[in-house]
Amino acid sequence: MPELDDATVAYILETRPCFEDLRQVASQLAGLLVLEAAGAKSELPRHPMLAAAEELYGGAAGQVRRARVTARTERHHHHLMQATEEIGSALRAARLSVAIDPMLVPLRRAYAQLQGAARELPGFEMVEFQQGCCGARRRDE
Amino acid sequence: MSKYSIWVLEFAHVPDYPLSGLVYGAHNQGTRRLPYCYVLIKGEGHVAMVDVGYNHKAYGAVLATAYGARDWHAPRPVLAECGVTPEDVSTVFLTHSHFDHMGNIEDFPNATFYIQERELSKWVWTLSLERRFRWLMLGIDPADILRTVDLARQGRLVCVNGDRQDLLPGVDLHAAFDTHTYGSMYVRVRNDGTPHSKDNWIFAGDLVYTQENLRGHDANDPEYIPVGFASGSQFNLLMTTGEMVKGVDGDIRRIIPIHDELLKERFPSRITTDGLCLTELALADGEASRVR
Repeated sequence: MPELDDATVAYILETRPCFEDLRQVASQLAGLLVLEAAGAKSELPRHPMLAAAEELYGGAAGQVRRARVTARTERHHHHLMQATEEIGSALRAARLSVAIDPMLVPLRRAYAQLQGAARELPGFEMVEFQQGCCGARRRDE
Repeated sequence: MSKYSIWVLEFAHVPDYPLSGLVYGAHNQGTRRLPYCYVLIKGEGHVAMVDVGYNHKAYGAVLATAYGARDWHAPRPVLAECGVTPEDVSTVFLTHSHFDHMGNIEDFPNATFYIQERELSKWVWTLSLERRFRWLMLGIDPADILRTVDLARQGRLVCVNGDRQDLLPGVDLHAAFDTHTYGSMYVRVRNDGTPHSKDNWIFAGDLVYTQENLRGHDANDPEYIPVGFASGSQFNLLMTTGEMVKGVDGDIRRIIPIHDELLKERFPSRITTDGLCLTELALADGEASRVR
């Protein structure tokens, strides 16, 4: 990874929290889908986690749109914007019905966009491994 | 006379994992090679696995660069060492929901997966907590959640509530709630098929990482020491350890920690051409050894 300029570092610091929030919202929606698909009768449109996901999403989406983008960070930001749109679609679908596909399809696309973002710049990870089970971060990283 | 052939198959490793992550309180005691493995159980017309490893496509690069994971190999060449394909696998027992145990479910298209219902429901519940609780999400991959949705829709995800006996003939599931994770479980194989078997094997998932968890640091004065990482309670881990030891009539060699580098010294094993360790625990009648 080439050395990062100040504007890129500032962008990373600015967008990392919203990346993590978007990842969290995607996980929350996927979790609700698991319950639904496993027949847990989660009453998805009224599930309390949906309200929490919407609140988190609102803050993250605003931050993504306000981020100061440079040429170096443009591709990353594009991924974040796409992920934001797809998660928004999934959230709207969740409010409308318990149907799985209208949520699952945009969620998969959102996940792919978040993965794309994670590949573009350092500091964005899809899984929190640090100090976790079988994933102790190396000191030289 | 064994009902099942049983192998422990390494599919990747970390060369220098801190011992403190494996054994509670072992701070500043250096590192150890940490293999990533899954278990293959074959016999009685069944091909089953305990856990399925992690998905290299999704985060292999992260694990390799930041965490030192090496030599990941896909299930197909790994299982081929025992003459099995991923398509042959009909049953998978997921000991818990961490990425390195359930991250590769999509590579087993014909398998039905068994997991404790509590592991799933608490996993989802954790997602509803605010950000400062994110430690509870360590090791969990959002993509695994999406793949689990697919499994459930295909009717290939079975949620188990507590213990289950004879899920396959002679194969039992034992719940270990609030230990390493919310709904961990271990698998016991009664390999002579009898109800009160003297030929038991226990596959512990991450309830134990190494023999030190089962016997402590002093062989002359054994004690149970919990693993270095748990989101449940150390008390429950120790009680479960005691239960597992009872389940193998005190013969702790028969409790298999799949991250234990020294497993190969206790059982017949060989290193494959890919540099991975293959350990043979038991051979069913008529099955040829894969290590000799």
